[in-house]
Amino acid sequence: MSEVPPILQIQKLEVRTHARLLLRNITLSIFEGEIFGLIGPSGAGKSTLLRSLNRLNDLLPGLYVKGDVLLRGQSVYARDTDVNSIRTRIGMLFQQPVIFPTTIRENVLFGAKRVLALGKVEQTVRVESALRESSLWDEVKDRLQQPASALSVGQQQRLCLARALAVQPEVLLMDEPTSALDPRSTAAIEELLLRLKTRHTIVIVTHNITQARRVTNSLAFVAIQDGAGEILEHGATKALLSAPKNPILADYLTHSS
Amino acid sequence: MRKAKDLLLGTLLGACLLATLAIVGGLVFAIVHRGWPAISVSFFTEQIRLVGADGGIFWNLIGTGILLVTALLASAPCAVSLALLERVWLRSPQLRRLLRLALYTINGLPSIVFGIFGFIVFVQWCGWGKSWLAGGLVLAMSMLPTVTIVLLERIAAIPTRYVEAAAALGLNRTQIVWAVLMRQSWGGLISGSLLGLARAAGETAPIMFTATIFAGATFPRAVVESPVLTLSYHIFILAQDSFAPAVGTKLWGAALVLLGLVFSFTLAALPARLRQHEESNV
Repeated sequence: MSEVPPILQIQKLEVRTHARLLLRNITLSIFEGEIFGLIGPSGAGKSTLLRSLNRLNDLLPGLYVKGDVLLRGQSVYARDTDVNSIRTRIGMLFQQPVIFPTTIRENVLFGAKRVLALGKVEQTVRVESALRESSLWDEVKDRLQQPASALSVGQQQRLCLARALAVQPEVLLMDEPTSALDPRSTAAIEELLLRLKTRHTIVIVTHNITQARRVTNSLAFVAIQDGAGEILEHGATKALLSAPKNPILADYLTHSS
Repeated sequence: MRKAKDLLLGTLLGACLLATLAIVGGLVFAIVHRGWPAISVSFFTEQIRLVGADGGIFWNLIGTGILLVTALLASAPCAVSLALLERVWLRSPQLRRLLRLALYTINGLPSIVFGIFGFIVFVQWCGWGKSWLAGGLVLAMSMLPTVTIVLLERIAAIPTRYVEAAAALGLNRTQIVWAVLMRQSWGGLISGSLLGLARAAGETAPIMFTATIFAGATFPRAVVESPVLTLSYHIFILAQDSFAPAVGTKLWGAALVLLGLVFSFTLAALPARLRQHEESNV
């Protein structure tokens, strides 16, 4: 693995507010084509870490970031980095599907149309390819002009995935993407993840150990240590889940499965 | 003891409600009762004759319309700019508070102050004389706080998850403003404008020195020295100067038309405002 440079390199990342430290000394390498999972108790800072990777935390006033993230060697936090182009290259899926009050087609194109300046024909092609990639095409191909709000929550989450895929990101961040879904929709998304990883790198926050075991290749365990979130252990999923070295992780695993 | 207090409070509140309803009802009744006999098709289509004792209010309606359209066109872009400035571009909370304070202050200014200001700036300094444009701009200023604040609250009510989702796709700030913020709040611009217009339609003080005369104006063909007739000034002059009984009915008729105009603006703004309340409950 060491010959291939990682697609994402988190280097001594530290996130804090005025009053307290949220994440301390996070260093991780994420490789192309893998599904990387972040697990750990609630409030440990998994989402904050995820949102630091595409600088979405910039939108929250009062959060300060030290250290850096490298995307294919390019600094995400350097002064001259164009944040918007970084966010185009690192897509994101949220816990709850965020559907814009417009048609299914316009939702898919919401980013692609504006960020990539696609022509009319390209737009149509992109809508189909993105919806096929997110396994939604067959369900919605006859009603692309209908409001997206009429879809079920599971479909809405796949629509959000299609919208993220439509701008062709190199990395996809997912913040507990199945926590609002029923078991069937969850299974559909998990199946989708396994298919997507052939072409995308995915970083996923999950509370569900079974899900982590099913879909991820590598895992990092984030937990509070001395008042701030830290990575207590990371490595290949199988090894980490079957033989955890860190006692806090071992304890967490026995209590959450 | 507690029961008695409850009863007393209940009665008091009920009385307040009744008083409010009585004021609105009484006002509407008085105006409809006296003004209705004047209402006919010719009242709307004829121009003023015999110093208001005969004829209709055709050019007054047109003039009020011209002033309101001008005020709407002038205030809407300013309101959008100010609302976006407050919500998106101003980072410092102090500056934002200052902007809001300025808006509330303008909102609280007596309307005669707008009139004098417009007189000095447009009529004298710009040399327009009495002009529909001067009146329209003065009305735009007086309604600007209402439009801006309604729009601003509408933008503030947009859940942040939409902004985050758009930002996560790589949209820049300008794209987010148009694709998310304005797209989801233009209803606020409309309802704010309607509420502002409802107030502006009845304003007399801001336009009496700047834009309107009692008789002898039709459709303005220039800016300089181009006044219009208006409903509110018509009512003002008839009420103040005329004792002829024939004038009385026409006066109440004009008041009824103005009341109808204002009510229809307020009612038209209602659906959008109710929808906003529903959404902010989610």
